[in-house]
Amino acid sequence: MTYMLIASAAVGGILLFLLATATANSPIFSEYYPLLLWLNAAVALALLILVVYQLVRLARQRRAKVFGSLLTFRVLVMFALVGIVPGLLVYTVSLQFLARSIESWFDVRVEKALDGGLNLGRAALDVMLSDLVLKAQVMALDLSDVPPAQQPVALGRLREQLGTENAVLMTSGGTVLASTRTATDRLAPSVPENALRQARLNRGYGAVEPFGEKGLVLRVIVPLNTLALVDEARFLQLTHEVPQSIADYGESVQTVYRAYRELQLSREGLKTIYILTLTLTLLLALFSAIALAFLLSRRLSRPLAILAEGTQAVARGDFSRRAPVTSRDELGILTQSFNSMTEQLGEARNTAQRNQAQLEMANAYLESILANLSAGVMVFDSGFALRIANAGAARILREDLGPLDRVPLSQWRKLEAFAGMLQAQFAMHPAAAWQVQFELLQRLAVLLVRGSLLPGASGGGYVVVFDDITQLISAQRAAAWGEVARRLAHEIKNPLTPIQLSAERLQAKLSRKLDIDDATALHRATETIVAQVTALKGMVDDFRDYARTPITRLEGLDLNRLVADVLSLYEQSGTLVQARLQPDLPSVRGDPDQLRQVIHNLLRNSQDALAGTANPRIEVETAAAPGTLGGQAWLRIVDNGCGFSSEVIERAFEPYVTTKPKGSGLGLAIVKKIIDEHQGTISIENRRPRGAAVLIALPLAA
Amino acid sequence: MTRSLGWLFLCATLLLGAGAVRADSIEVLGVGVEPVDEGYVVHADFWFELSPRLEEALANGVSLNFMVEFELVRPRWYWFDETAASEKLQVKLSYLPLSQQYTVASGPVQQSFTSLAEALRVLGRIRSWPVMGRDRISAGQSYVGAIRMRLDTSQLPKAVQVMAMTSRDWTLVSDWRRFRFVAPEKESR
Repeated sequence: MTYMLIASAAVGGILLFLLATATANSPIFSEYYPLLLWLNAAVALALLILVVYQLVRLARQRRAKVFGSLLTFRVLVMFALVGIVPGLLVYTVSLQFLARSIESWFDVRVEKALDGGLNLGRAALDVMLSDLVLKAQVMALDLSDVPPAQQPVALGRLREQLGTENAVLMTSGGTVLASTRTATDRLAPSVPENALRQARLNRGYGAVEPFGEKGLVLRVIVPLNTLALVDEARFLQLTHEVPQSIADYGESVQTVYRAYRELQLSREGLKTIYILTLTLTLLLALFSAIALAFLLSRRLSRPLAILAEGTQAVARGDFSRRAPVTSRDELGILTQSFNSMTEQLGEARNTAQRNQAQLEMANAYLESILANLSAGVMVFDSGFALRIANAGAARILREDLGPLDRVPLSQWRKLEAFAGMLQAQFAMHPAAAWQVQFELLQRLAVLLVRGSLLPGASGGGYVVVFDDITQLISAQRAAAWGEVARRLAHEIKNPLTPIQLSAERLQAKLSRKLDIDDATALHRATETIVAQVTALKGMVDDFRDYARTPITRLEGLDLNRLVADVLSLYEQSGTLVQARLQPDLPSVRGDPDQLRQVIHNLLRNSQDALAGTANPRIEVETAAAPGTLGGQAWLRIVDNGCGFSSEVIERAFEPYVTTKPKGSGLGLAIVKKIIDEHQGTISIENRRPRGAAVLIALPLAA
Repeated sequence: MTRSLGWLFLCATLLLGAGAVRADSIEVLGVGVEPVDEGYVVHADFWFELSPRLEEALANGVSLNFMVEFELVRPRWYWFDETAASEKLQVKLSYLPLSQQYTVASGPVQQSFTSLAEALRVLGRIRSWPVMGRDRISAGQSYVGAIRMRLDTSQLPKAVQVMAMTSRDWTLVSDWRRFRFVAPEKESR
């Protein structure tokens, strides 16, 4: 584009120079003038096409809303105005001036003077010519008196008498009969054919003829009126060279006259030439100016477009773009400062992102700690609205805490007692931490709740941490029970043997001394005593068994085989026992005797619960614990019996808690104790529509 | 001379059509090539009529340059035609207002006439125009000659040229007149 413009402008300039040179009054390029005109027009057309192409492109860019196109357009219009207005002004004035000045060349007085000069010359020549004609006629008259044979002689004499330069006597066919001339005469005695023909036709010929470069010659031909009979008519030709000075003057007048007339003739043509040259100059200049305006405006707006691109990139969040600095002016400085600004922005954003990532990591860390905390944690803001509650809190409270997010304690629609307690405690200890044991009535759980204030710097608020200590309490209770049972057993068992022995001795000593009736009564009483003592002993043994800490021998154990062994005893019981044992179950760490007792106890419990059930069924299932709980094996016993009542289920593992009409209430307590010894876990739950499930998890053998 | 002129015009008249003479133009009336000692000369006759515009220009001192162009080519079916001769003859017609004479100049030869008609008649008569040497053409070969005459507007003054660019009044040109020409044997001369 740039090169094209420079090339066309250069070619246009050269052509314009040539055209101007040719237009000026010089003979150079005269021959190629039309070609020059056409070439100039072609260059102007090329420039016009260039300009139109650029305009169309610009219009398209404006329609496409390319940034910078409007500025380009404005700058272009300004430049174009600066170029066009003075150009048009000069052009108009020049046109006026041109027309007037060309008209002023032509003046009636000059024309008359030139005509007069020419006529003067003609008159002078005419005078000379008529003088020569007169001489010729005199000579012809004299010669006609002379007999033809003596005419050549007479010719020389007559010529000298009349003082002419050159005389030729010839026949009408052009054959020279005689010729005579002065020594100074430069003319050959030739007779032009066309002159002689005219003389024959018009009975005479007289004319001024051009001679040589600038010379003029007078030529007169007259017929001889010969009285004598001759075979052919004779003609006399007199020629006389016009004096050089007169010829020169005449020539100069003629030259100027011709030039003037020529100018006058081509007056319109001249105007056309000048107007054409002027117009072409204007067009070339204008188009070049507009094309140049395009270049300049693009140069001006290009850095702005680059800046705009950069701005858009920044707006999209791309800080990596750097606008190239192309100039050293203010735009360049602007670009540079834009670049440094972008760089700083980018750095600032990176820092912010790093900080945010760190913060998020810290948060995630905290959250994971909170989530993995078995204790429940709740954070309230200063208005007692819930901000954070961890998974432990939801698990302990057995409530979905999601709907309570951002809800103030006073507006809780569930856990009202818990919320009321928190409010009361915080009201009671406005500036100190507190701790309280709280009984959660919904599930008969006991919570240990601690509350404290958050420091004011982090926005204030309150934090509540609570633990489910039900298990702890039940363990304490179990331990207490164990102690009681052990002592009780010890204290009760000691007197039992003397009682039994005494009763037996009573019977042995007295039975023979009494009559039949009394002996029978004694025997019956003694037997009752012994039987009751034996029963009491069994009961005490049970107590002792529970209280005694058996020595557990842990060893690798095939749980499936154990279960199968126990189940074989129940095949005849009339209850459908279904076993689903996972093959390839890894061996567990356990004491086979104790675990056998666990399974027995549980199966017996289930059987008892199934009494009165229409379609009694027990399922026994073993499985390896999935996922994160790997390293454990599960044993599950499910029945469709009457299940646990809600009062019992929370405390089922405590001694003397039973649903059965008869039973020691120690079965599940012993089971729980054994499982605890095995470092396993046990849980029970009621099933719908009816039934209960017991899940035992045992650690695998190493 | 008469013998050679005789066969010279023979071939010319054979080729000349009875073309209608148009106003403001030049017509080729006849043309012929004659072998002479040094080579070949061309004789041609043209018919002229100047437009009033041209006559006015002439009367106002503008010299009119006429160009007679002659070409002789040998057609070749297998290649570009061979150009045996391509000549131009310039004849200048001008008016001298002082002596009221028309002059016809061709090179150094200059003739003057009192009337335009006579000047035009002489201008249209081209005689013994040497166009080529003998060695330029081979004997017995058949050639095609072409001749035309035109007003050379590029020799006009610039202002007049500009006017001539837009007006037909200034164009004066004859059509190419083509004729067959068989180079004679050397002995036939």
